[in-house]
Amino acid sequence: MLEITFAEAALPTSGALGLLVGEGDGASGLWHAADEATGGAITRAFAAAEFTGKEGQSCTILAPGAGLTRIVAAGLGKAAELSPRRVEEASGVLAAALAREPTACIAADAFSAAHAAHAALGAVLRSYRFDLYRTKQKPEDKPRLTAVCVLTVDRAAAQAAWPALKAVADGVFITRDLVSEPANILNPPEFARRIEKLTSLGLKIETFGQAELEKLGFGSLLGVSMGSAQPPRMVVMQWQGGGDEKPVAFIGKGVTFDTGGISIKPAAGMEDMKWDMGGAGTVVGLMAALAGRRARVNAVGLVGLVENMPSGTAQRPGDVVTSYSGQTIEVLNTDAEGRLVLADVLWYAQEKFDPRWMVDLATLTGAIIVALGHEHAGLFSNDDALSDKLLAAGLATGEKLWRMPMGREYDKQLKSDIADMKNITGRPGSSITAAAFLARFVNEKPWAHLDIAGTAWATKDSAMVPKGSTAFGVRLLDRLVADHYEV
Amino acid sequence: MLSVRIGSTIGAAAGLIVPVAPGRVPERWRTSAAADVFTGKPETTCLMFAGNQRIVLVGLGDDAEAAGACAAAQLLRCPTVAIDARGLSASQAAGLAAGACLRAWHADTLRTRTDEHAPLLATLELVSDDPATATVWASLAPGIEGNLFTRDLVTEPSNTLTPAGFINRLERLVQAGVVLETLDAAQLAALGFGGLLAVGGGSVHPPCLAVLRWAGTQGGAPVAFVGKGVTFDTGGISIKPADLMWEMRADMAGAAACAGAMLALALRRSPMPAIAVLPIAENATGAASYRPGDVLRMHNGITVQVVDTDAEGRLILADALSYAAAQKPAALIDMATLTGSIVAALGHEMAGAFDNHAGLAEAVRRAGQATGERVWRMPIGMDHRRALDSDIADVAHCVDGRGHPDACQAAAFLKDFVGDLPWVHLDIAGVESCAEASDRQAKGATGFGVRLLDRLVAERFEHHG
Repeated sequence: MLEITFAEAALPTSGALGLLVGEGDGASGLWHAADEATGGAITRAFAAAEFTGKEGQSCTILAPGAGLTRIVAAGLGKAAELSPRRVEEASGVLAAALAREPTACIAADAFSAAHAAHAALGAVLRSYRFDLYRTKQKPEDKPRLTAVCVLTVDRAAAQAAWPALKAVADGVFITRDLVSEPANILNPPEFARRIEKLTSLGLKIETFGQAELEKLGFGSLLGVSMGSAQPPRMVVMQWQGGGDEKPVAFIGKGVTFDTGGISIKPAAGMEDMKWDMGGAGTVVGLMAALAGRRARVNAVGLVGLVENMPSGTAQRPGDVVTSYSGQTIEVLNTDAEGRLVLADVLWYAQEKFDPRWMVDLATLTGAIIVALGHEHAGLFSNDDALSDKLLAAGLATGEKLWRMPMGREYDKQLKSDIADMKNITGRPGSSITAAAFLARFVNEKPWAHLDIAGTAWATKDSAMVPKGSTAFGVRLLDRLVADHYEV
Repeated sequence: MLSVRIGSTIGAAAGLIVPVAPGRVPERWRTSAAADVFTGKPETTCLMFAGNQRIVLVGLGDDAEAAGACAAAQLLRCPTVAIDARGLSASQAAGLAAGACLRAWHADTLRTRTDEHAPLLATLELVSDDPATATVWASLAPGIEGNLFTRDLVTEPSNTLTPAGFINRLERLVQAGVVLETLDAAQLAALGFGGLLAVGGGSVHPPCLAVLRWAGTQGGAPVAFVGKGVTFDTGGISIKPADLMWEMRADMAGAAACAGAMLALALRRSPMPAIAVLPIAENATGAASYRPGDVLRMHNGITVQVVDTDAEGRLILADALSYAAAQKPAALIDMATLTGSIVAALGHEMAGAFDNHAGLAEAVRRAGQATGERVWRMPIGMDHRRALDSDIADVAHCVDGRGHPDACQAAAFLKDFVGDLPWVHLDIAGVESCAEASDRQAKGATGFGVRLLDRLVAERFEHHG
């Protein structure tokens, strides 16, 4: 992770400088000073590049003079619309443009120290790399940026605001690491071991193996796991920061690799199924973030970890399993396995913890991509108040949600000929019927289901998220907790 | 449409509908109902025979139309059915009749032999003691008539319902006082309808544009409807798979619904002026068909790169939206069986609603809720529009390949053609037809959208008093 320091605003005399520039801002603060020191190089470059400070714009000036190696400006948009998210995104753009520099300063002196801390966050989030398996990278291909100094009007205040944001960034990175790992490394036992290391943050962690899950009667989850040589796990993470309050609960789908099982997937694109544990990855990163910033909330995170493989011991289409809730499920397609894993974990979360509400995350359906694409995750819920808070947190963090419908007419499509329900319906509305399936394992609790199949992985860079694992949901749910549920 | 007579006494109809409040089965029927485990639960029924009369008890909850439909479904072979709505409010009574009329629709004009299962129900006797029933019924009947007119259009096969055939059917609206103007291919060429002409170019039946005007009485800018009228969609050069291609006779359901709504407004003499702009074309595979890769110049001058000729609906809608927007309407609502993607998203329960105006979108949602023609708001995101960037033209009209959020991208495409006008786009693919008959719904065309638009005009645009 980038090393972040804060300093009082003063023009650096060497190295690289990043500028956050609002649309139509007059030259102010360090920008003005830098422009003077470089003999108007910035003003001239902006004019030549038609840079006006619009959101998404950037402009790089190499060797501008005054001892600086490079000046990069990124647009913040209109001053009236300035928000932490805008600052983070512009700062992320700067970090990408400054990646070849060993160190850099980012001038965040035109706004508050709190915003300056968000500038640091944006730079950190964009600078994430997953280089664990590169053994032959040439030095010139490696990013050099290791430290950023954020220049602010109030160093002490920015410094004080930073640890909580850094904890969130740490959580995001934990998620991105987990999701980026290949499935031959990150199998369910290894996933559980990595979670167990988070006890150092003060999380209480309990792991359930094959025998314990059998004893509990997790027939739905165990059915999915049957075909794999890797045993399943359920890991429960508890963070006690909120006194006697009932906890809030987060549940994640953790299919460490999804071949589809006997209902095997086509070969093209199957490699993407290593990130079919994205929901679980997000729950782990979120719990780490809450613990890392000592959030004043009681929270519990539960992940169901399995591998879905075809084999002689795999479950078959047509099998009937008895879930932990006692309800029976006819498994008509073994590739609709995520809901089978979540069903048992959701029920357990309620029975064991009686939470105030539950949010589950899952890379659940391809249909949500056909419905919404990659800009919004699907939000399904039985609770309007919780939904509205989630939608607002999504807008604030840029991890956007779109509410999708639920209802009786979708639920009734789950009717099975021989069991309480079947695990698939036809293609029409199949993200909704998947949510309707989960709803049958929600026992009158406020609940929201986030289908993140379209948002967990990015095929191109964006302002704060380099290509690859996005950790979608960590910042969103951290924000939900921070805004509404801390005592 | 059933003939509906409102009276206060029960005659000797072949069928009788008795609405029952939950848990309140009348004494007279209690034994039979108990034998059938009927308790009056909403939308459940109990069928009995008394002499030569069929009697249906039906549970009546909040949705009287649903109860009327479920009861009528049991009595379709009775030429005359009475509804005993005594003791019920006018809106409940009228709702029961509306549900029965909608459920009793069937298509048999093309049959030459007697179908022994064909519905015979033709007359409804609505027995009500609420003096307001006739008035409430008069406000509902036009919407039902418009709905059934639309269903007939959607059902008609494409060898008779060609673009010219579609125009002929609009005579029914002219009789009701709607003014019809038809622009033929030559006129469309002069006006620059590049999208409509390209899509219709492969067919021996030339495309046209129907413009329907209802003057209303209150003055001011009209509300404008735009409906996709592809009388048959082969997909064109990007030809569809053969399976289920016959369903593409219904690819004009958006235009048919707009026409049905205009009929409803005219029949109830709505004070609100309205205009419907209906681009009508057959998307045929032929030597003169437009090609993937073609660039078209649209009515508003925008250039569009064709990616897949089976995404034709948005091209003809774009021209028509641009033409309608130039009439400076108060609002624009378009309806189209546009994408498979919306079916993947929402199934067959709701249409997708896309908009540039939250207030209008909310009004559309409420009108849908009130009429049972439900819509769900969907997003138009930055990514959806960016995905349409073209290498050589202003915009591409869709994204190549499958698995994309095509419904959202189609809406993003259309948005460029409406300017700043308040606009809602309803993607009705998946709700224009119903694959299987149920108690609630007849099999086949649904007429989705007619009653929604009629209701929307009444609630949002009409000035009263």
